[in-house]
Amino acid sequence: MSRQAGYLMKIAVVGIIVIAGIALLTAVSNIVKMVIISALLAYIIDPLANFLESRGMGRTSATVAIFAAFFVFIGFSYMAFLPLLSEQIYALQRGFSLEKAGIMISRLEDFLLANLSFLGVKDLNLLSRLENAMASTGGWIFDHFLDTASVITSMILIPFIIFFLMKDGREFKKAFVSAMPNQHFEFTLYLFYKLNAQIGNYLRGQFIDATIVGVLSAAALWFIGVKYFFIIGIFAGLANLIPYFGPVAGATVAVIVSILQTGNFQMAFYVIIAFTLIKLIDDVLIQPVVVARTVHMHPLVVLLSVLVGGKLFGILGMLLSVPIVGFLKVVAQESINNYRRYREI
Amino acid sequence: MNKLWENIFKTRQKKKDDINDILIKIPVFNDLNSRALTKIKRILHQREYKANEVIFNQGDVGLGMYIIESGSVEIVCNPERHILAQLHEGDFFGELALLDESPRSASAIAKTPCRMLCFFKPELLDLLDRDPKLGSKILFKLAWTIGERLKTTNQQVKELSCSTYSTKPIQ
Repeated sequence: MSRQAGYLMKIAVVGIIVIAGIALLTAVSNIVKMVIISALLAYIIDPLANFLESRGMGRTSATVAIFAAFFVFIGFSYMAFLPLLSEQIYALQRGFSLEKAGIMISRLEDFLLANLSFLGVKDLNLLSRLENAMASTGGWIFDHFLDTASVITSMILIPFIIFFLMKDGREFKKAFVSAMPNQHFEFTLYLFYKLNAQIGNYLRGQFIDATIVGVLSAAALWFIGVKYFFIIGIFAGLANLIPYFGPVAGATVAVIVSILQTGNFQMAFYVIIAFTLIKLIDDVLIQPVVVARTVHMHPLVVLLSVLVGGKLFGILGMLLSVPIVGFLKVVAQESINNYRRYREI
Repeated sequence: MNKLWENIFKTRQKKKDDINDILIKIPVFNDLNSRALTKIKRILHQREYKANEVIFNQGDVGLGMYIIESGSVEIVCNPERHILAQLHEGDFFGELALLDESPRSASAIAKTPCRMLCFFKPELLDLLDRDPKLGSKILFKLAWTIGERLKTTNQQVKELSCSTYSTKPIQ
């Protein structure tokens, strides 16, 4: 009985620590968000630093060289793409010129009023609602992504954290393993070793996949002539991290924009074909090559992860929730499997 | 005041030299220069064990080799705890685990309080990735060490079988 009480006590203590930890993390969610993003990026860039080291560079100089190259790249991208990106977001914030779309939406409204009046449909006012929704979405994106203070803080802090994670990551890992008691020390190292291979492949695969899908989407939309192709491309690439709903979300945004832009369904039809083709290319060509390991998750788990991520960390939480839950799933799965293997052999 | 600093640095330097002296006697590291040894020291784990503490159990997945910095270790075979070997400062064991993940064939138990240097497979693979020249040098010496142990085992098997045959009556 006393042993059972001891177990219950332990469970209660662990539970309290976990709840306190979650509460603390939620309270400092902005910092946690930055650390998570930095850790993910550091994980993705790490093989590059290893490659430079294998060419005779020290770890610090390899990290500095990567950062220098990255800043040059950002500088060029800033000159080439940022004016385009900010112009598109400002335009989105101001709202659409809804002349053609207005006619179409009025027609749709008339149609609905004529045919669905028995359901109590009256005075829909679709146009102004849509206009308000688009403007507030643009404003929301502007507030969350281009808020000057947060951009500057993130732009300084994230590279800073990445730099030290890359430069001293091994020492951090060694210090963590050193803190383990002797009986768990070798197993902890074994787990690190197994997880490193699994998670590294998963994250790098997801990153490359999202980049390719983003570039393909932006290129296809530009070719079709859809406005805001750049920002929709970025959104489609990031949304692709979310299985099931992500590709649909990217396509939906592009379809809505194309309808509002032209006022008819012709462009939307091309957009749907383009997104179907991109999804096909992604499933048949890109994913089997670059995503070494897909984490199978039930659609309900995906939906709940996205909702919880959105509630805790906003849109970035929604986009990163699935990779993070995938990461946690791989960690849990591998820990249990390897613990069994470690003890059973 | 100067004496104090001298003593602190002397202790650190001595500790560093002690580890160098131990590593240089291990066949896997014995022809490395001091720069390469410094790189190796950076990736070694240092652990301390109390007397009678288990270092690893027979049947656990092995991850790498242990080098005794100080103290002595017994290698025992379960379940009777039959002592296979007694190892002392400068000896090493478990190096086969650097190459495969087969379970440990015996248990290692600290006989006295021990300080160990641990060289593990993840660090060796990481080294091969970052510094292929040094990594392959170590891998080569590791293969050589395991080959030497195999030769010794073959010799022992030969001697054992010879003595078994010589004691058997000719039928």
